[in-house]
Amino acid sequence: MDWAVFATIAVPAGTAGLLMAIPSRHRDVVRYVALMSGSSLFILSLIIFGKYQFDDGGYAFELQLDWLGNVAFLGEKGITYHLAVDGIAAPLVLLTGIVIFAGVFMSWNIEYRNKDFFILLFLMVGGVYGVFESVDLFFLFFFYELAVLPMYLLIAVWGSSTDFGTFVRTKEYGAMKLVLYLVAGSVLIFIAIFATFVEAGQGSFDLPVLGSVTYGENFQKTFFPFFMLGFGVLAGLWPFHTWSPDGHVAAPTAVSMLHAGVLMKLGAFGILRVGMSLFPEGAAFWAPVLMTLGVTGALYGAISAMAQRDLKYMVGYSSVSHMGYVLMGLATMNEIGINGAVLQMFAHGVMTALMFAMVGAIYDQAHARDMTIFGGLSRNMPRHASYWAVAGLSSLGLPGLAGFVAEFHIFVGTFQADYIWAGALGILAAAITATYILRMLAFAFFGPFNERWASLKEMRIGEQFGGAVLIFFIAFMGMWPMPFVDRIAATVSRLPGIT
Amino acid sequence: MGMDDAWLLPAVPAAAFAALLLFGKYLPRKGDWLAIGAIAASFALFIPVLADLLDEVGREGFAGVVSGTDWVEFDTFNLRLGFMVDQLAIVMLAVVTFVSTLIEIYSVGYMKGDPRYGWFFTAMTLFVTAMITLVLADNLLLLYVAWEGVGFCSYLLIGFWHERRSAAEAAKKAFITTRIGDVGLLIGIILLWREAGTFSIREIIEFAQDGGYSAEYLTTAVLFVFAGAVGKSAQFPLHVWLPDAMEGPTPVSALIHAATMVVAGVYLVARMMPLFVVADPVALDVVTAIGLTTVMLSATMAIVATDIKRVVAYSTMNSLGLMMVALGAHSVTAALFYLFVHGFFKALLFMGAGSVIHGTERQEVWELGGLARKMPLTALAFAVGTLAMIGIFPFSGFWAKDEIVNVAADELAWIVVAFLVFSIFLTAVYMTRLYLLVFTGRPRDDHAHEHAHEAPPVMSLPVLVLAALAVIAGFWAFDQVGRALGFPGGIGEFVFLDEAQEFAFPVVAAISSSLAAVGGMAFAYALWFGEAEQARQLGERFRPLYKLWKNRYYFDDAYQWAINNLVLVGGNVIAWFDRNVVNDTGVDGSAGLAVFSGFQMKFSQTGRLPNYALAIVMGVIILAIVFLAVRV
Amino acid sequence: MIPIQHFLVLSSILFSLGIYGVLARRSAVLILMSVELMLQAVSINFIAFAVYLAPEEFTGLIFAIFVITVAAAEVGLALAIVLRIYRNKATANVDEVDIMKW
Repeated sequence: MDWAVFATIAVPAGTAGLLMAIPSRHRDVVRYVALMSGSSLFILSLIIFGKYQFDDGGYAFELQLDWLGNVAFLGEKGITYHLAVDGIAAPLVLLTGIVIFAGVFMSWNIEYRNKDFFILLFLMVGGVYGVFESVDLFFLFFFYELAVLPMYLLIAVWGSSTDFGTFVRTKEYGAMKLVLYLVAGSVLIFIAIFATFVEAGQGSFDLPVLGSVTYGENFQKTFFPFFMLGFGVLAGLWPFHTWSPDGHVAAPTAVSMLHAGVLMKLGAFGILRVGMSLFPEGAAFWAPVLMTLGVTGALYGAISAMAQRDLKYMVGYSSVSHMGYVLMGLATMNEIGINGAVLQMFAHGVMTALMFAMVGAIYDQAHARDMTIFGGLSRNMPRHASYWAVAGLSSLGLPGLAGFVAEFHIFVGTFQADYIWAGALGILAAAITATYILRMLAFAFFGPFNERWASLKEMRIGEQFGGAVLIFFIAFMGMWPMPFVDRIAATVSRLPGIT
Repeated sequence: MGMDDAWLLPAVPAAAFAALLLFGKYLPRKGDWLAIGAIAASFALFIPVLADLLDEVGREGFAGVVSGTDWVEFDTFNLRLGFMVDQLAIVMLAVVTFVSTLIEIYSVGYMKGDPRYGWFFTAMTLFVTAMITLVLADNLLLLYVAWEGVGFCSYLLIGFWHERRSAAEAAKKAFITTRIGDVGLLIGIILLWREAGTFSIREIIEFAQDGGYSAEYLTTAVLFVFAGAVGKSAQFPLHVWLPDAMEGPTPVSALIHAATMVVAGVYLVARMMPLFVVADPVALDVVTAIGLTTVMLSATMAIVATDIKRVVAYSTMNSLGLMMVALGAHSVTAALFYLFVHGFFKALLFMGAGSVIHGTERQEVWELGGLARKMPLTALAFAVGTLAMIGIFPFSGFWAKDEIVNVAADELAWIVVAFLVFSIFLTAVYMTRLYLLVFTGRPRDDHAHEHAHEAPPVMSLPVLVLAALAVIAGFWAFDQVGRALGFPGGIGEFVFLDEAQEFAFPVVAAISSSLAAVGGMAFAYALWFGEAEQARQLGERFRPLYKLWKNRYYFDDAYQWAINNLVLVGGNVIAWFDRNVVNDTGVDGSAGLAVFSGFQMKFSQTGRLPNYALAIVMGVIILAIVFLAVRV
Repeated sequence: MIPIQHFLVLSSILFSLGIYGVLARRSAVLILMSVELMLQAVSINFIAFAVYLAPEEFTGLIFAIFVITVAAAEVGLALAIVLRIYRNKATANVDEVDIMKW
């Protein structure tokens, strides 16, 4: 099954190539090609997740092709196309498969240059898979950029500009800010990668090789922040988070889903996979800072979300808040907390994708996102309302849904790591989450029916199906988290410097 | 079938819930039979569990039977899906399974014709699942899971008629208010875990009794846990949600907001009582103080409330406060005894009120009146419930309440006892007032009165069963009754904290509380019987007090003010800060700085070839000098 | 045999003259000529080193030929540009041509 990992990168790349060959007037052909590709990615991801043997938590599905070696400063295995999946990457690979599968359904109605849209979308997905699966820092960085850059066009061309009365957010602004921010983060990562390469002196960018070197304490302390901040930007690390709400507001539905659902995880994944596994002492030194920023983000995002009226802004800030939990989990530096962080990456990915899908579903019909102008929508759109409710309840940590399992692990880990104040504030942030979610539900879906929206109908069948897939995984993880915990815990317990 | 199979109790309604959720629409009668059947099956399964427990309970050192399986586990971390059956759980289970079976049957009549009839039963089934799980949980995590689950069901069912703005708001309020308490509960649970390294309730208690926690740490932790109980059991200062929760259908009020969910807080404190005992005495003082405050607040607010369901809701708060006071005197027996009988008579009161609402479609007591002739069965049942609530000999409330007064007199300050007796007087006043206004006197709304009709048998039968229980349940206090039923003795020998105690009739407590109760009834009779002119005059004379009570001590207003002026404004400030300071200044500002500096620096580009050539040459020379200097 | 220093001194004199010309001259054509001087100075260096240090190899000589070739191409291109500038601005004075900016 070694080809499965390679295929997850080859399929999106191939799809992008195939779509280029299709004349753009055949819109339906484009859609079905995208659907086929999305479904096969979904199945491949399920296979990878299911087949991953978690006995020892090591790499599986390994594939290593020589790319550049014995040249100048590079050793024999200088840069290799080294793909593998471990217990941390496996759930995230599955997450990517789920979100792109659902995302294709949510993008079904795009009419304007849908071929180009899907080409860029699949390029981005290929990049995302690449980051999760690369074990070579050079390719990891390459795929990281590949995942970020199509975002600019996707938002700037297919996004939407909104006038909020007191201020205006154009799609160009959102796209520009997002990409500049993430590229700025890349700069830090790039510096740190080369510093690591030179310090290790192994002439290789391969992570296992770099990981076998012990770095000096000062070196670790100096360069861990580069990874922490560089990847942290993409993870919505406070105070470098503002690209996220504005970017989401401008982005089209499927892009928001992928972006908040998967791309923000790349950042947290990078901190864990590169930063913490290479520099455990540096991570331990900077953990209090990361914890502080994480808990600040969690609270700050939740409070900001409470003040929003625009649905997308609310979901965008809730993403900042939930990614704050992920960073808290990473900062605990213990097994329970990091397990929780990875669980939260998955849980947040699925539920935020569902939320953005639902925002898109209502925006397509109503061309409005202000929750206060709706009212009683559950009369005409009962399914839509219940999907919202599931996503919202998961994000406020209702037991039985995915969010609870993850958040509980994080809180326990935080307390265990003696950040009692941070754990308490995190739990408080979860209560604030309840406030804004229920407020939104009460505004938009409950109460007397607002006749202005009498023309709104239930979601399209495709949207219902895509949403149902996401809900299935939210409930699955909430009820039976062991398949996830087994895989994650096996790998996390092998990480250096974890108590 | 024994205590090891206790997991079946929640599993059966859980399966029914899944079936109803997926296929409920296609089932005949929307599947109400499935819901009732599942819950009745739960009750049926409860009986062998009880029989098994009764066999075992006499054994030396019996402390419950634990069963279950792991849910999440890795390394040393272990979250169990574990169940524990002991005396405490059995008493709660009896109330939960039995009362919910009756209420589900009652709902068939009450909810008839509702467009979301099927959904009602689906949600009720989920509630019963969660409630049974809560009772059986052997570890704090599962307890928390079920705790949130019942809260969520409460949210769903309060907002059952969510087209009404008030119902949607009440549901939101209930969820958020209890959630504030749950923040404390979760913190408390994790604090307890942090030192003990386990979520198992029993192991935590053993750990505490072995002195594993320092006193301050344990006190802090149990007070956090108590915060959860405060939210769920509608204790001051998180009590504001319960009266509003009456927006839900009446069976919901009867089951969730009277008999079962709201007493979960009492149950939790009773479960953790060994921890409270080990902790600093301040913890129990807090429990007493909060309970007593709730009692006094609710009893006074009930006197001026005019919605029939709200009066009963305040009486629920009153009862919950009493149970907390009993726990404050670390008497698990008294609290659980009251909880047991309260489940019956409070459900009875709510269902009676539901029958009135069903028959007249009115809820305001000033629009009702003289219903005793039209609805004799309901009136009779309601009278039984009222007398039990007031605590008149020999109704069940009498025994339970006297037990509380008794332990309070033994353990607590005299001022607490005085307040308790006074609250019994107040209880008698408002309950009698309610009965008089609704069932006696002249009909105030002729239209409603004409259409009033007795409830159908499917509703009145459960009511009558409960009425019978409200009369006799209190006799469980006697050892002879307990032994005749197969228990080792009265409730005092079945549920206890340290050692079993035989029932002793508390003469002084009984006389003083009965005097207060009868006095209260007479007082209410004098004021409200007939045209209630005196009551109106009294209200005029004590206008400020009346307004204070009528406005619910301005708690709701104060909270609303705080939400509007502190929370929402705070949120807006943060959002403004994020947009204007972090984004427009920090982010756009740095972008602007780059643009500005680029604009300024472009003037260094003269465009003249000689300048560039000179720069190149100078650069080379400087580099050469640096190179040479470094080499040397 | 003439010592290598003689060639190096020659080439540095030529190179310095070239630099002086490039910096001090106003006429674009003269600047180009000065650039040629600099290039030839480098060529002399290449050849001298090639002969003195590695007489068996032709690397330095080949470089010199490259330099000559490139210089020829460069002069061709540069003169064309100068010609265009002269056509447009009626001057070949580099101080008056400052369009190479924002």
